[in-house]
Amino acid sequence: MTTFLETNKRYLTTAAYILVALLLLLWLVPIIGGQRPARLIQSTVTGLLVGGVYALIALGIVIINKASGVFNFAHGWMMLFGGLVFYSFFSAAGVSLLAAGALALLTVIMALTMAGWRSLLQPRTALIGVAAFIVLTVLMALPGREWQYMRAIIGAITGGVLVGLAIERFTIRPLIGQPLFAMVLMTLAIAELLNGVTQLVWGSVEIPLQVFAWVGQLGLPQPIRYDARDTLGGIIIIRTELLFAFLLALLAFVAFVLFFRYTNVGLAMRGVAEDQRLAQALGMRVRVILAVAWAIAALLATTAGVLQGGATSLSLNMPLLALLAFPAVLLGGLESITGALVGGLIIGLVQEWANLLFPGTQAGTELAPYLVLMVVLIVRPDGLFGQKRIERI
Amino acid sequence: MSANIRPAGVFDVNYGQDISLNRTRGDRWLANGLFLLLLLVPLLTVEGPLGVNLIPQSWIGLIVRIAIYVIAVQGLNILTGYTGQISLGHAAFMAVGAYSAAIFARNLGFPFWVALPAAALFTGLVGLLFGLPSLRVKGFYLAMATLAAQFIIPWLLRYPLTPLTNGSRPLEVPIPTLGPLSFAHESAFYYIAVPLSVFLMLAARNIMRTRTGRAFISIRDNDLAAELLGINVFAYKLQAFFLSALYAGIAGVLLAFNDNSLSLDKFSLGLSIEFLAMLVIGGAGFPLGPLFGVAFVNLLNQEIIPNRLIPALGGVLPQLLPFIDRINIISALSPLLFGFILVVFLILAPRGLAHRWEIFKIAWKIRPYSH
Repeated sequence: MTTFLETNKRYLTTAAYILVALLLLLWLVPIIGGQRPARLIQSTVTGLLVGGVYALIALGIVIINKASGVFNFAHGWMMLFGGLVFYSFFSAAGVSLLAAGALALLTVIMALTMAGWRSLLQPRTALIGVAAFIVLTVLMALPGREWQYMRAIIGAITGGVLVGLAIERFTIRPLIGQPLFAMVLMTLAIAELLNGVTQLVWGSVEIPLQVFAWVGQLGLPQPIRYDARDTLGGIIIIRTELLFAFLLALLAFVAFVLFFRYTNVGLAMRGVAEDQRLAQALGMRVRVILAVAWAIAALLATTAGVLQGGATSLSLNMPLLALLAFPAVLLGGLESITGALVGGLIIGLVQEWANLLFPGTQAGTELAPYLVLMVVLIVRPDGLFGQKRIERI
Repeated sequence: MSANIRPAGVFDVNYGQDISLNRTRGDRWLANGLFLLLLLVPLLTVEGPLGVNLIPQSWIGLIVRIAIYVIAVQGLNILTGYTGQISLGHAAFMAVGAYSAAIFARNLGFPFWVALPAAALFTGLVGLLFGLPSLRVKGFYLAMATLAAQFIIPWLLRYPLTPLTNGSRPLEVPIPTLGPLSFAHESAFYYIAVPLSVFLMLAARNIMRTRTGRAFISIRDNDLAAELLGINVFAYKLQAFFLSALYAGIAGVLLAFNDNSLSLDKFSLGLSIEFLAMLVIGGAGFPLGPLFGVAFVNLLNQEIIPNRLIPALGGVLPQLLPFIDRINIISALSPLLFGFILVVFLILAPRGLAHRWEIFKIAWKIRPYSH
């Protein structure tokens, strides 16, 4: 009996998977069949659109994981923080020169000294720093409504980079060489700190971010309706904000992927993640690479936060939302950037479908993605596109 | 490590001495005396039988709470500190224990004394179920599996099991009784929670000195080497999950019967994270780590931050920061301070308070010679 099990293990596992899949189908098909086709299409479309932002969140988490092997639990709070910084610059009629200058100065100094304070003494670096400081300050302090997008984008980028660099400098760097467990907990502590900061500055917020107001001027209907009552039995509604958030998320995703493909930062990150000491021996500056990784992740978080805030609203729900990216990351495969995209889209889809099939139970946000996570972990821990690993006990 | 260092002139002359937890007579007196003192605490409050006002009544609730959380964090310590498997779903296991005990007591009419072990065993089995992915994955993948538990279990309790658990609304839990005795008062419940907590701490400490415990530690330190030495890694990991969930279940039961009402909001992801924070602050992988961590975090969150720091800073900060809403400052102080203290702790003492305590003990024992 045992030898039979041993020799036919692969076939038996496959058979078991097929059996489970069939049972699932038998259970789901009647539920799906009871729905009107328009609702199904609606959910599919909304799910895919929602998934775009998840992919962006997932990418941020993957980058940190690639560079330092840590799961960043503060990502959701970084999103909310970036979104709120954007909102502050966006909604204010103007920003005082002092505040803009202080933000720019801090960011420039943090960015220039990521390898050590000595680099400030080099005349070229110092010159670049002064130039960047002046440009950023002027761009952020431009008065008037017509500059609000410029102001908000530059402000959010500066704020996001500052948060990323500060996190790396003050909390992650002192822990290099300590157990990984301490570093994971550190990201949780950062989440708590960012929670405090957002509450301090903005209070318990629920802010719809009106970033997509310009869409109305393009002449597009808001929302886009497709009347299919005759053929599909319902109206399919696509919210324009969601559509644009999705498109921009994809654009940002592609931009970051190209950045990694055509610079050697991505490769350096992988080297650092593999072995920090070895990377250092080969002449890579581990600190700089870690700092860059955190800055990029913070930028991604800020982008995702702004887009999500524009599609729905900036609220304290956002950190919970970012947890949904973990199933997406694992489903796609931890090391894979394609995987982050596919995983994000699938999780968005699963979420909307679960909300449709089991209404009124929060099944979409609280259950279905985590069930997918469990199944992925048991059936295919490497994810769809991840590297096959030997160490897996 | 400190076990081998004794004051000069103390030698083991038989096997009993060699395996005993308290090596010297002084240690034994200290341990027993502290335990007796702990038992005396409720008698010395205003509402105690002696009627003396030596200890404030509010301490009783705090100590019971610490005792319950120590059990839960000791469970996490077994899984995370000793076996090295990070769990983000400990609060969910606690919820399983609490709700199953409440259901056993309400719907099946079990007395507390039967509901406690039954619920603990049930929770252990649920823990086994969520430990199954450890067959294939480890490290952060496993942390993700437990994160899934943290979401799936409360969802199951909230929606499909609503008839049993009252869904999102609070669930009444009967008062534990023993013959004519009723444990409604918190001072009475003290005598259930505190001795049980002490017993479970000792049990955990002893488990860690057995073959099983050493297998756990070997899996944490190097799982490949452990397997090579003939340790059945998967079986021991499952045992660790079972034990950990068992402890969480007991803590959940005690929490349910202490508060006499249950709601799912208590067992959020935040609590799981707080458990991890307590474990790391106290010292993961040290038998006394949970006690230090829970006592420290509870004192900080229940006493020092709301009663000391917030009144002190709440008066000063609004004047320093006039451009920020006063209400925002008050509500933000608690997460800010907690996060800040956690960051400081992780940087200065990433191995926790218990590690410092061990260093201090060794220094004390070998005084006046520092080497």
